[in-house]
Amino acid sequence: MSGYMSGILAILAINIIFAYGIYLSVATGQLNLGGAGFQAVGAYAAAYLSATYGFPVFLTLLTGLLLSGVFGFAIALPILRTRGVYLVLATFAFAEVIAGALLNSETFGGAMGISVPGYVEWYVPVIIAAFVTLLVFYIMSTRFGLNMRAIHDDEEVSDLMGVPVRKVKVIAFSMGAALAGLSGGLYAHTFTFVEVQGFNAILSIYVLLYVLLGGTQTAWGPLAGATFFTLLPEALRDLLPSTKTFLVSLFGDAENVAPPDESWRFVILGVLTVLMMVFRPEGLITRPMLAHLRLRKPGARAAGGEVLE
Amino acid sequence: MLLVQQLVNSIMLGSVYVTVAVAFTLTIGILNFLNFTIPTLFMLAGMMGWALSYYGLPFGLSGPMPWPLALAVGVVLAILASLLVERFTFRYLKTRYGDSTEHAIPLVSSLGFLLILENLVRIGYGTEERRFVGPDADLTLNVGGLFIRVPQLISLFVTVLIVIFLTMLIRRTRIGRGLRAIAENPDAANILGVDTKRVVPVVFMLTGLLCGLAGALFAVNYGEVSPLMGEDIGTKAIAGMVIGGLGSIWGAVIGGLIVGVLELMTVHFFGADTVQVVVWGALLLTLIAYPSGLLGHNAIGKGKL
Amino acid sequence: MNAALPLLSVNAVSKSFGGLQVISDVSFDVERGSRIALIGPNGAGKTTIFNLISGVYTPDSGSISFDGADITAVPSRKRIGLGLARSFQNIRLMPHLSVVENIMLGQQSNATHLADMALPLLGRSRSRREAEDLLARMGLGTFPGDVVATLPYGIRKKIEVVRALAAKPKLLMLDEPAAGLNPAETASLRDFLITISETGTTILIVEHDMGLVRSLCEEAVVLNFGSKIYEGSTRHVQDDPQVLEAYLGSRHVKDHVVAGGEHA
Repeated sequence: MSGYMSGILAILAINIIFAYGIYLSVATGQLNLGGAGFQAVGAYAAAYLSATYGFPVFLTLLTGLLLSGVFGFAIALPILRTRGVYLVLATFAFAEVIAGALLNSETFGGAMGISVPGYVEWYVPVIIAAFVTLLVFYIMSTRFGLNMRAIHDDEEVSDLMGVPVRKVKVIAFSMGAALAGLSGGLYAHTFTFVEVQGFNAILSIYVLLYVLLGGTQTAWGPLAGATFFTLLPEALRDLLPSTKTFLVSLFGDAENVAPPDESWRFVILGVLTVLMMVFRPEGLITRPMLAHLRLRKPGARAAGGEVLE
Repeated sequence: MLLVQQLVNSIMLGSVYVTVAVAFTLTIGILNFLNFTIPTLFMLAGMMGWALSYYGLPFGLSGPMPWPLALAVGVVLAILASLLVERFTFRYLKTRYGDSTEHAIPLVSSLGFLLILENLVRIGYGTEERRFVGPDADLTLNVGGLFIRVPQLISLFVTVLIVIFLTMLIRRTRIGRGLRAIAENPDAANILGVDTKRVVPVVFMLTGLLCGLAGALFAVNYGEVSPLMGEDIGTKAIAGMVIGGLGSIWGAVIGGLIVGVLELMTVHFFGADTVQVVVWGALLLTLIAYPSGLLGHNAIGKGKL
Repeated sequence: MNAALPLLSVNAVSKSFGGLQVISDVSFDVERGSRIALIGPNGAGKTTIFNLISGVYTPDSGSISFDGADITAVPSRKRIGLGLARSFQNIRLMPHLSVVENIMLGQQSNATHLADMALPLLGRSRSRREAEDLLARMGLGTFPGDVVATLPYGIRKKIEVVRALAAKPKLLMLDEPAAGLNPAETASLRDFLITISETGTTILIVEHDMGLVRSLCEEAVVLNFGSKIYEGSTRHVQDDPQVLEAYLGSRHVKDHVVAGGEHA
């Protein structure tokens, strides 16, 4: 496999784990706009333990996961008393505090970042991503997952039905934070370098958009969203310059066209977001859509558990 | 004396945050909507003000404009952009089930607009800081040994006027009654005969106006603009709003000033690098320990019921 | 518990919102195995009474006892486990869950162990089987896997009732279950409720359809402007001068009452 392909697979796997981390809280009706902060916790924990103490990779990953989960718990427990916009603000603020603290800390290399000695091949994140995907599908199939989705739809009625709303919200949020931390640890070991500037507000926004545009009704959504938005920039890498050349050639001179600005990718993501929110706010993949697909494939009805109805 | 001078400076600095914080708190208080385009509108007014006074209209449609005209056009552009955001966040919004993700749709759309507007400005004018040549920003009054820059004094004055104007608008006018009714309960407001389709755009016009003015005043005061200028101000305005209490205009005023003081005191005692941690930390602590802030009521952001 | 005591008793309960007295000093009992109607003009406070009994609101004064115990201070989440389940006036099913998942949510109060949380609800799991059986018994067995949001109104209305039943409640509280149903659907709902009642479930129902009220319930409690104005047989309810006054007079004051707001 070429270095280019394995690089894309690794980042795809990391983004999928990251997206599932955000998904667990969004599926419970809680927007998490601090993804970069939780990922940074996992990445720096892994990088620091690996660089300073030479911990083996699995141990640094585990520490990053747990530490990020603990941070998630510490944020969620007080904040989830309130609803809606408070959590958005708190998670956003958390990410900024983490970034600011790392930037000012000499222990963690400040603006210079940390080199990570423990390198993992591309298949490590891919295998872990597959495992995480199965895990999330499993969680969503349990009564706990049912409670998560119920809270997403109607918190008050969930409470009257006997769902321990706050407990479910805190646990789901913390598990999500832990997964985001895991993705950070894998990032550190795959790219063997972390710098805090990479874990910025745009990253938090980006991953939340993956999840929402993919759709939060099923665990397929984040998978689709993360895949689409990881591969989109790769596709645009060739498409954008040729589009620009084509457009310029319509007006005559096609020689020596400067490559288009990187920022166009963000503009395209922004436009997609706004259009999706207008035309299909429930995201790309919805339950009625999946049900429809199943009906069209007669043999599939006996295959999965969900369809044995 | 140095500390008093610092305090005066912080109030001047805080007044920029106040205007933007009021814009945030207005949309949250009335529409329960955290509008992430607000920092972008601020940046848009400043950057377009600079671009129009430096280059003139795009595609050579006009020569460089005089700076007051350029800034005025910048403010108008911010208002227009804000109305465009309204179209796509509230006008065409389909809420069918009223679940939690649907309540987040405007917020998510506003994140989309943030990406679009900021990156279009980057594509058009690059990412560097630009020098805005306005009036003499260093014109200074000496009041009993304290130095006060005249443009800053004017900014402070404009800010105070804006806040008083807004308070009057909300308390005394028909539009204000409509706004308050929507803030209370959108469905009931409809039943009581408030035309939400006409009142909601008013919130966005005010948002655009506030951010535009703040951006223009910032350009005049600091003489520098960049596509990134909104992020820093947005941060501090959000912190100011939270400290003051979500949905409270006077809370945003007090909160914005507190953040101004907090920032310059942090710079004074710990250095500039720690400002981000201190401001966001204050925000986070307020949210955890005292979510209703200084003047807020805890009813904002509940979603429904 | 003491079988002689009424299953539910509401004792001198009052509630106000922002200075507006919505419920004033209302008392009534619901005997075990009975079917009681709670009626009154729009804005009389019927839904507020439901919200007080189910714990959405806490009364300003007075107390509520259920099955022999004072539940005034019991959190809303715990009440369904005591045997108190309700439906909602405007359908409040979870729109993105399937029919059977909504029913399984109703079984929540029976799932108290960690294992109940961690076991998948797929395929032939016990919860799912029970939920599907219940649906089949109620004549809703044809579309358990459909997402609720895609189903027609009448069916969703029925699913709400079944969801409340899934908790195996002692007291089933139904808020206008027949609103928007046609006469045939209403008749089948009545038969359905009588069947449930005969298995020992007590029913407290808010309903505007007086035909249904009379054919289903023997007794009624009538509220007007948050006060109880009648309690007794449904047969004589229309002869009561106060009730007559409340309903006939209500047309003139209807606008006032709507503006005063009955909280859903």
